[in-house]
Amino acid sequence: MSDAGMTDGGMSGGIGFAAALAAWDAAAPAPARACGLEVADLLRGFHPDHRPGGMVSLVAGPNEGAPCPAQLAVLLQSDSLLEDVDLAGATILDADVLVLGGGGAGCVAALAAARAGARVLMATKLRMGDGNTVMAEGGIQAAIGAEDSLQRHFEDTLRAGHFAADKALVAALVGDGPDAIRWLIREGMSFDLADERQRMGGALLRKKPGGATAARLLSYRDFTGLELMRALREAVLLQPGITVLDGHPALELLTDDRGRCGGAALQDLGQRRLVLARAGATIMATGGAGRLHLAGFPTSNHYGATADGLVLAYRAGARLREMDSFQFHPTGIAWPPHLEGTLVSEAARSAGARLVNGQGERFVEELAPRDVVASAMLRELAEGRGIGRDGKLGLFLDTPSLEREQPGILAQRLQTLSHLAHRAGFDPAREPFLVRPTLHYQNGGMAIDTDGRSALPGLLAAGEVTGGLHGRNRMMGNALLELVVFGRRAGASAAADARQERPRNLGLNHLAGWRRGLVAAGLGLEAKGPLLFPPYGNVTPQDLRRRAA
Amino acid sequence: MSETEPAGTPLRLVFNGHALQARPGVSLLQAWIAAGLPLTENVGCMGQGVCGACRVLVRRPGERIAGTALACEMPAEEGMQISFIDHFPARRPHAYDLSALTDSWSIPDQIDAVFPEAKHCRHCSGCDRACPKGIPVQRMVNLAAEGQVFAAAALFDACVMCNLCVAACPEHIDPAHLGQFTRRMHAALTLRPADLMQRLRQIEAGEQPIDLDAPGASPPVQR
Amino acid sequence: MKVLTDPALCVGADLTAWMARGGGEGLARALAEPASIIPMLEAAGLRGLGGAGFPTHRKWAAVAAQPGPERWIICNGNEDEPGTFKDRFLLAETPHQVIEGALIAAVATGAAQVVLYVNPREAAGVLACRAAVAAWQAHPLAAAVSAAIGQALCLRVVESSGHYIGGEETGAVSSVMGGFPFPRLKPPFPFEQGVNDRPTLINNVETLAHVAHILRHGADWYRALGLGDAAGTKLYSLSGDVLRPGLHELPMGTPLRELVFVHGGGMLAGKAFKAVFTGGPSNTLLTGADLDVALDFESVRARGSRLGTGAMIVVGEGTSILRKTAEYVAFFAANSCGQCPPCKIGTHQVSRILERLDTGAGRAGDLEALENLSHMLPGSGRCGLVDGAATVLASSLETFRAEYEAALPRD
Repeated sequence: MSDAGMTDGGMSGGIGFAAALAAWDAAAPAPARACGLEVADLLRGFHPDHRPGGMVSLVAGPNEGAPCPAQLAVLLQSDSLLEDVDLAGATILDADVLVLGGGGAGCVAALAAARAGARVLMATKLRMGDGNTVMAEGGIQAAIGAEDSLQRHFEDTLRAGHFAADKALVAALVGDGPDAIRWLIREGMSFDLADERQRMGGALLRKKPGGATAARLLSYRDFTGLELMRALREAVLLQPGITVLDGHPALELLTDDRGRCGGAALQDLGQRRLVLARAGATIMATGGAGRLHLAGFPTSNHYGATADGLVLAYRAGARLREMDSFQFHPTGIAWPPHLEGTLVSEAARSAGARLVNGQGERFVEELAPRDVVASAMLRELAEGRGIGRDGKLGLFLDTPSLEREQPGILAQRLQTLSHLAHRAGFDPAREPFLVRPTLHYQNGGMAIDTDGRSALPGLLAAGEVTGGLHGRNRMMGNALLELVVFGRRAGASAAADARQERPRNLGLNHLAGWRRGLVAAGLGLEAKGPLLFPPYGNVTPQDLRRRAA
Repeated sequence: MSETEPAGTPLRLVFNGHALQARPGVSLLQAWIAAGLPLTENVGCMGQGVCGACRVLVRRPGERIAGTALACEMPAEEGMQISFIDHFPARRPHAYDLSALTDSWSIPDQIDAVFPEAKHCRHCSGCDRACPKGIPVQRMVNLAAEGQVFAAAALFDACVMCNLCVAACPEHIDPAHLGQFTRRMHAALTLRPADLMQRLRQIEAGEQPIDLDAPGASPPVQR
Repeated sequence: MKVLTDPALCVGADLTAWMARGGGEGLARALAEPASIIPMLEAAGLRGLGGAGFPTHRKWAAVAAQPGPERWIICNGNEDEPGTFKDRFLLAETPHQVIEGALIAAVATGAAQVVLYVNPREAAGVLACRAAVAAWQAHPLAAAVSAAIGQALCLRVVESSGHYIGGEETGAVSSVMGGFPFPRLKPPFPFEQGVNDRPTLINNVETLAHVAHILRHGADWYRALGLGDAAGTKLYSLSGDVLRPGLHELPMGTPLRELVFVHGGGMLAGKAFKAVFTGGPSNTLLTGADLDVALDFESVRARGSRLGTGAMIVVGEGTSILRKTAEYVAFFAANSCGQCPPCKIGTHQVSRILERLDTGAGRAGDLEALENLSHMLPGSGRCGLVDGAATVLASSLETFRAEYEAALPRD
């Protein structure tokens, strides 16, 4: 959103648009200026995770003492919107498996659980199919090239994440990769081929994503997420055994007297009443946190990305990891203001487009890992070499040179990009994009094992809400892979878990202990969570609970 | 493009019965948000134009026949009248099992069995006019009804499943779902990349082990 | 005074019986003095009885003034409106009234192509019309009509597709031409460009039925049948919460109170009178304050509503206006032909909101959304279907707002 970007600190006024355009035009193709900083210093100096005052230590809950962005910490350490008395008289729905979230991971998990014989209830805040997945553009990684290997994919992922990831999880991620692609094709998802005529026996089109040592990014045009979600949505609609409740965000997990998770209390937004969904196993697939606009950044995320699931899981006792690590996608739109934050796909850089500052120079290896590229860009902006236009600062993404070098690429492979430029009111073949890092992905999240189980019995998780896969920086293409691999694992595990003994005496049993913890830590109980909708949604969760017109 | 934001007088719109003022250059969705109105549905990708949630009917002053649009993509104009449109699901589930569609000779029969309404298309072109992405929906329906799967699937490349065509069809064909059926068949029944299949064979034969303790799996040793 | 529904004239397809009871006299008069036909209709004050109330003589004159030689007449008997059931009676019980009126029109306008456009759902009517038309083929009067026009008369029955939208003028044209009854943008109007792009007269069958009597008995006779300034008789289709629903032929301009409480036997089960959905139900509601209104075109228009087809659907206390409105909007949504998304999608969206309100699932903002749609939708399609839906919605919202508000969520 246009107002959110003004507070990210450390940006000096940039070079005027006309002057910068002239410099770019004169210098193209842009000469490279050496970085002059070690990667570690670059990150420490300019990555938003390291902003002074941006991080606080959690003082309550399973991750007490761990660093976390200040805004997120408020939510994680918030009190529930509900009291026990609110559950009285609520409609009760029973299922084997409850899936919270209807994006990619949620849909995959629901399908896997239903096909394993479970009765599945899927509750979504917006609609089934909504979430960050549908907005993903670049692609999905899988080590299928003859020159590539699972081992290389494994090592590339660990390295890009600065070796902070859980090795067993990463091994599972990459090991299931090729099968995930086959699974998606079986669900009806299309992929681009190296030669479109070779549908049988040909090769998938593969690109090298930032930080990879082999070309293993598979895609469908530059709207891979849309293609994936279209197929999955139909699959969910047609799968017997899945009941979908749109417009039913979860307000609190239900736990029994042994601390086991047994479902969730959902708010029926249409009827303004509570619904209790009881299940043998609950899968958290609520996605990311971009709409919190951490560090004041604009975001590329879906409207619903408000960290709801993270808040509920933490409150119920689930441990999180790498909560202080967020990915800032290097190229979000910086201008025009009404499109600020919208993703400009890395596909452009994968295809060869270069980043240029206001002096007409390149300043970073475009396909370095995203945190490096984003930090380098923020450095240019902080040190006065950015480009200013209508009060917005950014850097050039040189699409005209790309089109000149590969005529027709914009129309053939980068349709979404071209469409975006058209809506922004310029021709990407003649004028470069103005881009700036945008809050894009939650690297950390709920800790899970290779079966998708959290440490809290009865609670599993998949997708962006989980942590341990990407370390401190996600590689492009691993997010779509993650939701398929762990969606399937969590779905199968949940179906199995649901056949065990059911939780008894379900309620808000964990709340008393949680509240005691908040009070003991010196926090009040005034802050409530989850947030459900960003502030510019003009409605609070309390508003939604009231029945008044 | 001009250097400065157009100062301009605010634009006046009526959106779902609310009289709004909008800054020139904003989208309809942003105008709604800026007016302080609650937004708990009909919203999603916030301008990418890819999720189909923010369906609206729009009528411009002096325009007789109103049109459809996605509010996050449509710029506000003076005097516009706008109404949000709900998500209209398919009239009835069109059940099929892709994995059971093993005899591709039966595809035309399958299409007819699952979407029997498609052959009764009355050629009103309402679906074409309803589509905010400009897809030739009616042609896709007619091609699919004739069994021209690839051609139908190709036409539906840009669909964002907003389901406006589903709401618009008087014969209850549910075109978006028919379109997705052809696309899914196209992939599931015919896409067989050899490189993928080779790698899967290797993995199944144990030829792709992952060594968690390989040197590359740990940080490089510091000097 | 029963004119159209005179039992003596309900002879079905029997042409001999029709001629024996005064049938044919009007046509004979018309053939004798063709130039007097249109002036006589003007003097009689006959208006279109299919809904619009357009002065019949002006439509005929417009068609007559267009260049020939090919001209068409469509006798519109599609009648698919909820609450209207007069045309099916005429076509089944006394089709010769309609046919004779159409033949008079043929002489007056020079149209040799005369189509009896009937709804296939009314099987009895279709059978009667086919037999009636067959009977005319060999009759000397038919030959006389051909001679007067200067072309061979082609009189036949065409079954509509059975869709509601086929009753719309331009929809009827599309249907007669063999396609789906898609309405077309007007202008051009059918009188100038109709079937095969030729001048086409489209009249409701009730209108044509009156013509034969006007020609037979004269304009003054016809005028005198009406009350006040209104002329002739009207077939009122009365339904709803009354004791004696049904078809009532009464002087044009009969007060609503009399229709409901005298001829209609009053309210069912002693319920209080609440409202009337008039003419279709695509018009502004009439309420208790309107019981004194004369049911003719001008008087009803002066009250802000329309007589339409003369259908009066009576609603008493205990019947939900919200629910009835939801029912009628759903009818329009289902019967929208599909060409115009604002109509199809707009009416479906209204229908959705009304259904939510009706089932206790209403939300804040619903009433504003409905009002917004009622302002946005009129005129946004190729025909008037969407306008009718918007009018009945706006009217019920304004006059019975309390019922809508009661359906909203409360603390």
